[in-house]
Amino acid sequence: MKKICLMLAAAALVTGCAGPNPYRAPVEDRGQDYEPAKEPVTQPGTVVPAETSPGVTVQPVTRVPVVREQRDPEAASQPVEIQSSQPVVSQPQSPAVIALLETARTDSGKGDLRMAQSRLERALRIAPRDPEVYIQLADVQRRQGQFLQAEQVALKGVSVAAGQSGALKRLWQLIAEIRQEGGNAQGAKEARDKAAAY
Amino acid sequence: MSKKRTPSAKGRRSRQKSKPSRLGRFLRWLFKLGLVLTVIAAAGLVYLDAQVRSKFEGKRWAVPAKVYARPLELYPGQSIAMDELKQELKTLNYRFVRRADQPGAVEWASSRARIYSRGFDFPDEVEPSRNMLLSFSGGRLQSIKSSDGRSLPLVRLEPMLIGGIYPKSNEDRDLIKLEEAPPHLAQALVTVEDRAFYDHWGVSPKGIARAMWVNIREGRFVQGGSTLTQQLIKNFYLTSDRTLSRKLLELPMAMLLELHYDKDEILEAYLNEVYLGQSGSRSIHGFGLASQYYFARPVQELELHQVALLAGMVKGPSWYDPRRNPDRAMERRNLVLKMLFEQGHISRDEYDQARRQTLGVVKQRSLHKGAFPAYLDLVKRKLREEYRDEDLSSEGLRVFTSLDPLVQTRAEAALETGIGRLEKRYGKRAKELEASMVVTDPQTGEVMALIGGRDNRYTGFNRALDALRPIGSLVKPAVYLAALEQGYTLATPLEDEPLSVKMPDGSVWQPQNFDRRSHGVIPLHRSLALSYNQSTARLGMNVGLDNVIDMLHRLGAERDLKAYPSLLLGAQALSPLELASVYQTIAANGFRMPLRVIRRVTDAEGEELSRYPFTLKQQVKPELVHLLQYALQEVAREGTARSVYSVLPDNLNVGGKTGTSNDQRDSWFAGFAGDRLAVVWLGRDDNSQLPFTGSGGALRVWTEFMRRESPEPFLATRPAGVEYVWIDEATGLRSDRRCEGSRQLPFLTGTAPSEKVDCGLDNPVRRSLDWFRNWFD
Repeated sequence: MKKICLMLAAAALVTGCAGPNPYRAPVEDRGQDYEPAKEPVTQPGTVVPAETSPGVTVQPVTRVPVVREQRDPEAASQPVEIQSSQPVVSQPQSPAVIALLETARTDSGKGDLRMAQSRLERALRIAPRDPEVYIQLADVQRRQGQFLQAEQVALKGVSVAAGQSGALKRLWQLIAEIRQEGGNAQGAKEARDKAAAY
Repeated sequence: MSKKRTPSAKGRRSRQKSKPSRLGRFLRWLFKLGLVLTVIAAAGLVYLDAQVRSKFEGKRWAVPAKVYARPLELYPGQSIAMDELKQELKTLNYRFVRRADQPGAVEWASSRARIYSRGFDFPDEVEPSRNMLLSFSGGRLQSIKSSDGRSLPLVRLEPMLIGGIYPKSNEDRDLIKLEEAPPHLAQALVTVEDRAFYDHWGVSPKGIARAMWVNIREGRFVQGGSTLTQQLIKNFYLTSDRTLSRKLLELPMAMLLELHYDKDEILEAYLNEVYLGQSGSRSIHGFGLASQYYFARPVQELELHQVALLAGMVKGPSWYDPRRNPDRAMERRNLVLKMLFEQGHISRDEYDQARRQTLGVVKQRSLHKGAFPAYLDLVKRKLREEYRDEDLSSEGLRVFTSLDPLVQTRAEAALETGIGRLEKRYGKRAKELEASMVVTDPQTGEVMALIGGRDNRYTGFNRALDALRPIGSLVKPAVYLAALEQGYTLATPLEDEPLSVKMPDGSVWQPQNFDRRSHGVIPLHRSLALSYNQSTARLGMNVGLDNVIDMLHRLGAERDLKAYPSLLLGAQALSPLELASVYQTIAANGFRMPLRVIRRVTDAEGEELSRYPFTLKQQVKPELVHLLQYALQEVAREGTARSVYSVLPDNLNVGGKTGTSNDQRDSWFAGFAGDRLAVVWLGRDDNSQLPFTGSGGALRVWTEFMRRESPEPFLATRPAGVEYVWIDEATGLRSDRRCEGSRQLPFLTGTAPSEKVDCGLDNPVRRSLDWFRNWFD
């Protein structure tokens, strides 16, 4: 019981320390990628939060260190599975996907882009986590002049390819190409930089 | 002037000549009359001819659009149980036999199956009919070998026909070509109905005479003298009332038809036109549809005795209805067989064997099973955005959808089981429950199954699309995602304390937690996992209603959302389909995909009319969605949905959210595994209170569905730009795996708190002790 009291007190103190507004999150400026948090805006004419919390909010003057017992690190169980920081080993491609990708390549080589697209969508249903499918599909859409879609498909490819540097490099190169052809020179440069990082 | 006189003189002369003969005058009159009549008749013939030709050459039949389910793809390595394949083959009406030696047949063994597929003319390419051997082990398809021993990487079965879009006349057809007709069909028809078919000119005096003779001999009407051509004309061009004028028109038209078209063309039209039965309000025309209706197989696969039955039924489809009058039908069938034998079309053996067969008629059911009314409803709505009703019901369009009948069946079964358990548990308080469900593939955005109500066969109120119900806590992920986007982290402490918000109308909004308690300071991820209302409301007010609404729209909500604070706790009503779209975006790492039900539409010849390709748009940064996915997985591990792992395998890593509306009128769960996303709603049409919450009701159905579905585990690949940091659970401070009370949480790189708890790791003495201890471990 004493421990719990201590913990609660510590928790209250620490949150109190966060600043005048305990609900505001600490924000780190991450450059242009992320917008810094805005001040909470009150909707004009709609609602005004009115605190009725009867509890006394403690504003400590000094920080109190939070103390914890040590434990055996092996005992630290993770309730939610943590995605390892190791590169995800890509699944070996099934013969079905290989066959579809190959015929799609032949189709697009012959200029039959619609046919290639149908095959790649079939492949996508079978192997939606295979970056290669996204690379080819985005490339077919690029050749059809659908630059916006092509870029989005390639970006989805980036999101499934997390940890696979080879695929990521090719995806960003492709995105650079798509943006370049679509007239977005600045975006193309950014993509090339990302590709170079892999 | 002189010219004028000449004819009158001539006339006078002729009048003088003919004056003596009255007969001559009559003959002359008759001749004139004849001439006029001939001209009229000729004009009539020309008119009839135009009629005959325009109908025969133009579009002959209004063919309803056909709607297909997804074709089942089969490939080595595929995770598919043999039972699932069996179910698919059964719904495709494959026959399970000892030797699969013709299309539509299967040999079934314990770990292998030989399938003689039918093949299908897909819009992208023709899938040939194949005789192939499939081997299974461990719930997977190991290999597919063709009959010559080659390994096949990928094959498609034909898609199941799930429905049609019918015109008001309710006529339905399944057009066949003459060369597709089974061997004895044409022979049987000709033998029974019109032996002189290949010799006559459309009408057969011999046939009429013979019919008369037979009728006189029998003393009653047993045989009509109509040729096949006449019968076709009758059905094709003329009304069915038996008037003399109709009979008179029939003869010249039949001859005209014969004049223009060859026998095969006429016979093919006949095969598709002839009336062969009635299924409810829908009339069965043509052998293609009749074959499905009576034998549940394509006409190509009919056997001799079945062909004989159908050919015999032409004479009187209801009199010889094999379901209502089996004895009569049997007698008629055997008569046809006998005639075929006597005419030398079949051998003695064939005759004897066919005669011994039972009728082989399948149990009556509505055509196309009518099993997916909710899904078809959605398909029709989508089609109507692009096509006119008359085109849909007459042009013979082919519509390829993404409905997965296996998934649909499992969803229906899960719903039934789930509700059954609830009724057992809550007794009367759970009566008159209604339900709806949407299942999608989060990777592709395709809708795989849809349930619009508990009665799956009833085409009524489609709750999955049209029931607008307050979504309760299903809204919370949008609130938290908006917060994460503004710089909150999963570890940000939130205050779960009472709050009051003054509304514009002067009232005060005071949200309560479900347990009517406040929980003090808790980290953000915990607040979502345990679905606390007060902390969420406070968070939402700080984030701003506009931002939350904007997030909901970006994720997939389409309607206007009112900026009331109660929105933060789900007072807003959405349809299950709309919610599926919102959760789909979350499951797909922030990429929004329009939910697709139709893959492609082609015309009757297979020419593509529209396609609905895979499209997507990134709406939220994948890194932020990764954080939310973590919290939604926590909901299932430790939060309001933790009951799922008492049923589902531990490695499934599902994410989702429970929802209960005010006063417990709606029970929701929306959640996803790797390749399945499902939204379940339970409630009542009269909006009365339920005896259970989202976790107690909808979640149970959802869990049962996922158990049956055994989907792929959800893999939240960690995007670059996200790091996992050990955090002290109670305070949200940075911690270490060696400190008590710590867990790993994902953060955007660099946003984890820097302030640390102290568990002595920085103390050199203890650190060295630690090192020392590790030495001996």
